[in-house]
Amino acid sequence: MTAQRNSTSARPTRQRRLARRQAALLRLSTAIASASDEAEVYQSVVAGLHDEALGYNFLGVFLLDPDTGDRVLQASIGWPDIPDNWRVHRGEGLSERALQDGKLHYTADVTRESQYLPSLASGSEVDVPLRVDGTTIGVLVVESSEPNAFSDDDFEILTAAANQASIAIGRARLLAEERQRADEHKALLDTMSDLSSELELSKVLQAVLERAVTLLGVTGGEVAIYEEGARELVVVASQNIGKDSTGTRLKLGEGAMGAVAETREPLIIPSYHEWLGQSVQYADVLVHSVMAAPLLIGRRLVGAIATVHSDPERVFGPEDLRLLNMFAPQAAIAVENAGLYTEAQRQRQYFEALVLNSPVAIVTLDLTENIVSCNPGFEQLFGYTEDEVVGQKLDHLIATEATLSEAVAYTKEALDRPIHGIGRRRRKDGTLVDVEILGVPVIVEKQQVGILALYHDITELLQARREAEAANSAKSQFLASMSHELRTPLNAIIGYSEMLQEEVTDLGHGEFTTDLEKINTAGRHLLSLINDILDLSKIEAGKMELHLESFDVRAMVDDVVTTVTPLVAKNDNQLEVKCFEGLGSMYADMTKVRQMLLNLLSNASKFTEGGTISLDVDRRKDADDGRLMIVFNVTDTGIGMTPAQMNRVFEAFSQAEAATTSKYGGTGLGLAITRRFCHMMGGDVQVQSDVGVGSNFAIRLPAVVKLSAQPAGD
Amino acid sequence: MSKILLVEDNEMNRDMLSRRLVRKGYEVAMAVDGREGIEMARTGEYDLILMDMSLPEVDGWEATRQLRAAPETESVPIIALTAHAMAGDREKALEAGCDDYDTKPIELDRLLSKMETLLSK
Repeated sequence: MTAQRNSTSARPTRQRRLARRQAALLRLSTAIASASDEAEVYQSVVAGLHDEALGYNFLGVFLLDPDTGDRVLQASIGWPDIPDNWRVHRGEGLSERALQDGKLHYTADVTRESQYLPSLASGSEVDVPLRVDGTTIGVLVVESSEPNAFSDDDFEILTAAANQASIAIGRARLLAEERQRADEHKALLDTMSDLSSELELSKVLQAVLERAVTLLGVTGGEVAIYEEGARELVVVASQNIGKDSTGTRLKLGEGAMGAVAETREPLIIPSYHEWLGQSVQYADVLVHSVMAAPLLIGRRLVGAIATVHSDPERVFGPEDLRLLNMFAPQAAIAVENAGLYTEAQRQRQYFEALVLNSPVAIVTLDLTENIVSCNPGFEQLFGYTEDEVVGQKLDHLIATEATLSEAVAYTKEALDRPIHGIGRRRRKDGTLVDVEILGVPVIVEKQQVGILALYHDITELLQARREAEAANSAKSQFLASMSHELRTPLNAIIGYSEMLQEEVTDLGHGEFTTDLEKINTAGRHLLSLINDILDLSKIEAGKMELHLESFDVRAMVDDVVTTVTPLVAKNDNQLEVKCFEGLGSMYADMTKVRQMLLNLLSNASKFTEGGTISLDVDRRKDADDGRLMIVFNVTDTGIGMTPAQMNRVFEAFSQAEAATTSKYGGTGLGLAITRRFCHMMGGDVQVQSDVGVGSNFAIRLPAVVKLSAQPAGD
Repeated sequence: MSKILLVEDNEMNRDMLSRRLVRKGYEVAMAVDGREGIEMARTGEYDLILMDMSLPEVDGWEATRQLRAAPETESVPIIALTAHAMAGDREKALEAGCDDYDTKPIELDRLLSKMETLLSK
């Protein structure tokens, strides 16, 4: 029973011991897994294994220093008088073996080993390698003060602990790397914020270059911007490459930066002076290796960056390329922004100069219609200084009592859309000034920010206009009185010559008749000239008025035909008149309609000899607007006109040729007057003609003319 | 024989038109301005008045209005004569009370036909 009891009592003891060990191992795993960096991993390994339940009393973790091959103590428990960072040199100590072959080594009795570096007088030792990604990076050393203290169970536990530690170390190192990258990012962000505050292009690029040199730990470098027009790179920043290369121009493909600009891919040149792509412009630089990258916005080239090592021992590796690739896009954006900013600044300076030097008064208002700024032109026009007006309400400052409401309305409107007007405003000294006003809403990025108002002094302009109007009125007055003064003696000439013709006939002196008739004809011609010039100048002065009345079209036509018949007969022409049956009456200026018809018929008579002149009068609806129109067609079989002559026929003083006037007489004004009369009455006149065949003139007039159908002037 | 009063300030026009009208068989009296024209017309001797519009003292329009306003002359035919061959002058003359209108220089046949039309009424 005792044995039984012993055995039963022994079993729980062993089970309890196992349970305690498992609990200790669990704690160990948890501690290792929750370590946040490498140092914590080492600490948790030694602390976790140094557990009463496991019974390991002397523990240490060494890391291999890859440069020297030494082992450096990272964490330990139990060893007395051991310094932190204790360094065990290459080739010394028992744990060297685990480092060499990456396997666990057990020394049952350390006193037998010459390699043993005594920390304990006697005992046993287990060395377990720590391996990350297939490489032994260190060793876990566990000792006991007694020989033969370790069993297979212990090897199993320690191997498991070393494996867990290795995983944790690998992860901690990754984390550290991530943190470093995060730091790099932060450095870049810092760069960027530096860059945005210093936007002058050359300064920006100098800053970009300095950042790149610091970040990559290189000797020096260069930054170039790409000039699209010239298709060349221009070096704008240069640091520590053995010469100041600023201003150097590189063609695409020339040198390291030219090469990356052309290929749009980064490039590492391990030995620059042996490189075939070297530019002659860089024959004298003190560089050994070069790494260059294009600066791209999308696929658009904005520049290039190059970094150099002058130390032959230093080479560019994948890590450097990674950093440069990370840096380049942000540098490109900086270059782009700086370029845009420089352009914007240039434009701003240009516009500022424009505003500053403009003789036009320019003032800007905010959304509450307070003055934000004004230019010297404003100060000069209104007599206020900028300081006096900023913050004031513009309209209350310069509008007069009479124009205030109009001015306020203008300003309100200018918040929404451009306004343009003429008004009177008041200067500081109270005098008034006539101004042309232009107001436009100022919109920045779709956001309304205020109003820009322009005032242009038009006092002189208005004065000139008033003078011109006065002069024009004087001219009209002059023409009116002149026509009267000319006509009175003409009446005498025409009248007396006519009277004399009658008297000489009565007195039997017929031989004088021909001469008297010449005097009479010349007088009548002069009279028609005066009448035409007077008509035209009245039309052009806008003084020709319409006197509308209702009249019978047929009766008017018959009257015209009676008047024109002697003229038609003069050149042996036949006159054919065709009137539409139901012509009825029209409401128009009869005097002018008569005048136009007489003009067309007398022209036709003049330019036709032994031919036919026809007058067709019709009444029809306008195809476009359905108005009832009266259409007069005057057709002849006369000399006709060329297309060029037709084009000018309605212009004043445009008889086909100067020779025409002397041969056919007339003023060359009749058709110009006819066209203007037609337009005044809301109609038109058109011509068709062939040289040697004849001409057709068609007058279309509304049957009912409305006043102010057309302005009198053309 | 119809008696015509010609009111015309221009001597040549007055001489010329009066002589031509006399040759056509009219009896012609003459006034040199609007005021004289009104005075002569008030005698009631005339069958028709030819009235120039641009007259000194009293112009033709005013003279016509005064003649129309007086009972002894309200119905005497008046033909306005004017050198202003402007549209509107016709209306203006008719408004003032003229029976017809003609422009200078005189087309004698046209004027005679207008005169005969009024005289035969």
